[in-house]
Amino acid sequence: MAAIKPQNPLNLRAVKCTTGCSKLDALLAGGVPCGLVTELVGESTAGKTQLCLQLVLTALLPKSLGGISSSSLYIHSEFPFPLRRLDALSRSFSQTTSCLPDPPLDHILVRGVHSATDLLAVLDRVHFLMSGPSQSSGQLPIGLIVIDSIAALFRADFDCNAVDMRRRSGMFFAIAVRLKHLASRFGVAIVVTNQVMDILNEEKVRVGNYEYVWSSGRKVGAALGLGWGSCVNVRLFLSKTASSVMTDDNRRKMMVVFGPHLPKGSCEFVIRRHGVFGIS
Amino acid sequence: MLPGRAIFSNRSDGVTPMTAHERLPQNRPIQSDFFGAQTAWEMLSEELVQKHITTGCQDLDDILGGGIHCKEVTEIGGVPGIGKTQIGIQLAVNVQIPDEFGGLGGKAIYIDTEGSFMVERAYQIAKACVQDVLSISAIDGKVAETHRKKMNPNVFLANILYFRVCSYTEQIAVINYLEKFLAEERDVKILIIDSVSFLFRQDFDDLALRTRILSEMSLKLMKLAKSFNLAVVLLNQVTTKFTEGSFHLSLALGDSWSHACTNRVILYWNNDERCAYIEKSPSVRSASSGFSVTAEGIRNIIPSHKKIRIL
Repeated sequence: MAAIKPQNPLNLRAVKCTTGCSKLDALLAGGVPCGLVTELVGESTAGKTQLCLQLVLTALLPKSLGGISSSSLYIHSEFPFPLRRLDALSRSFSQTTSCLPDPPLDHILVRGVHSATDLLAVLDRVHFLMSGPSQSSGQLPIGLIVIDSIAALFRADFDCNAVDMRRRSGMFFAIAVRLKHLASRFGVAIVVTNQVMDILNEEKVRVGNYEYVWSSGRKVGAALGLGWGSCVNVRLFLSKTASSVMTDDNRRKMMVVFGPHLPKGSCEFVIRRHGVFGIS
Repeated sequence: MLPGRAIFSNRSDGVTPMTAHERLPQNRPIQSDFFGAQTAWEMLSEELVQKHITTGCQDLDDILGGGIHCKEVTEIGGVPGIGKTQIGIQLAVNVQIPDEFGGLGGKAIYIDTEGSFMVERAYQIAKACVQDVLSISAIDGKVAETHRKKMNPNVFLANILYFRVCSYTEQIAVINYLEKFLAEERDVKILIIDSVSFLFRQDFDDLALRTRILSEMSLKLMKLAKSFNLAVVLLNQVTTKFTEGSFHLSLALGDSWSHACTNRVILYWNNDERCAYIEKSPSVRSASSGFSVTAEGIRNIIPSHKKIRIL
């Protein structure tokens, strides 16, 4: 361990990676922060994966355009990896900006994981990638790690008894300690997606700015409970308005559940072929 | 408590610091220095002149007996998003309010185990604190002028000595190092650990080892608080405990840890309002009060009936 020395906060201002949309960036005080773990919670088709795919592309942008000039590591636990969607998105991105490296997909490292133990093993080796690629290879350093999704890794293998819940919670913190270590040591932004669960009774523990969120007419909250909730720095909720079920209008909403630098707030957005866009 | 003292507060019991000093015997018996011992009377008078660190929320200060106490370990726990880090940052700022304005004029040590310390947020809170202090002191223009240079949010940020730790061994190492560090940095008046529990919550193979490490750590923190006249604030997470077939909330790190602090404050939601509850304290009764997290930092709740009355 290096010599113990305090740091001056004046030298520690957080770098943000743009979401590619100025309205969503405004909600997030500039974008997804480096050095922190940001969680996107939402039901399936709420736009979590779409936003992640967009972020691995915006991360490639130079700092002058709000990016972090970085390549990404995309760890997925749901199969298959949405390669076609990423390809389509990168094509429409390339049309609007000439600042992406060519081909952009060459700077996105993809790894599938099948279990929580598998994820831990991957995270224990990620630092080799950080110091690894030489400058001469033209490879950008990794500045963004996406885990899509954390919830899928905990669907099976754990029962609802005290021993298993304890084991599961220990696993959350083992993952979170590694993620935050990577975030702080290498200044990378970490984005993790999570699923929702129905909130049935009023006894539910309230976490953050919302007791529950309405999504597609259901009363929902983040999956994985209080333990995992204590593992992330920023929690954002992506919900679908009830009307979108009936009218097939693809209107969604991003809400700040909690975040050390974010006030309560929300922004509606739509998913188009060329990306995720906030509307006012 | 005197009304209108938003920036700082002192103890509100009958004995004022001045009278305590007057009543202090001039020729102290020599035996009180023996073995580093003090008479109870000395301890009381010391406690009475002691200033407390304001939380920024008058209601919360009131139930805490004036604010966060120096020489004591205060644990503050609650669910994610309730405002633990916000209180931590607020205290790291408020401890720096100069003596002349009723503050302690000290520096802060911030040990960040979770990475939630955001400089942009600390800047907002420091800026609001500086503005509040200057607006109150504006009555006396001269005083304000001499301190205008010092009263700068960037100076406030630079006086937060920030340690980022990523493993429990690093956390222990920093706490061990503080004894030497504090001997040199005599201006430090508060130590904040955000959070004390995060790095200890992954599965320990040897739970007895964890308990031993934690109790050693808590003893060290109490010693630091006492010997350097320091307020120690430990932010803690909550966990769901499964007993007798039902889940209920409790602070993390288990039962033996609950002896680690002098004061314990639980933060919770009451409908849409944030509340704080004194669960344990040697000097004040258990009580609860609301608080709010605003753009400026921790503040009183504006009561909803007042809001309606204004309308």
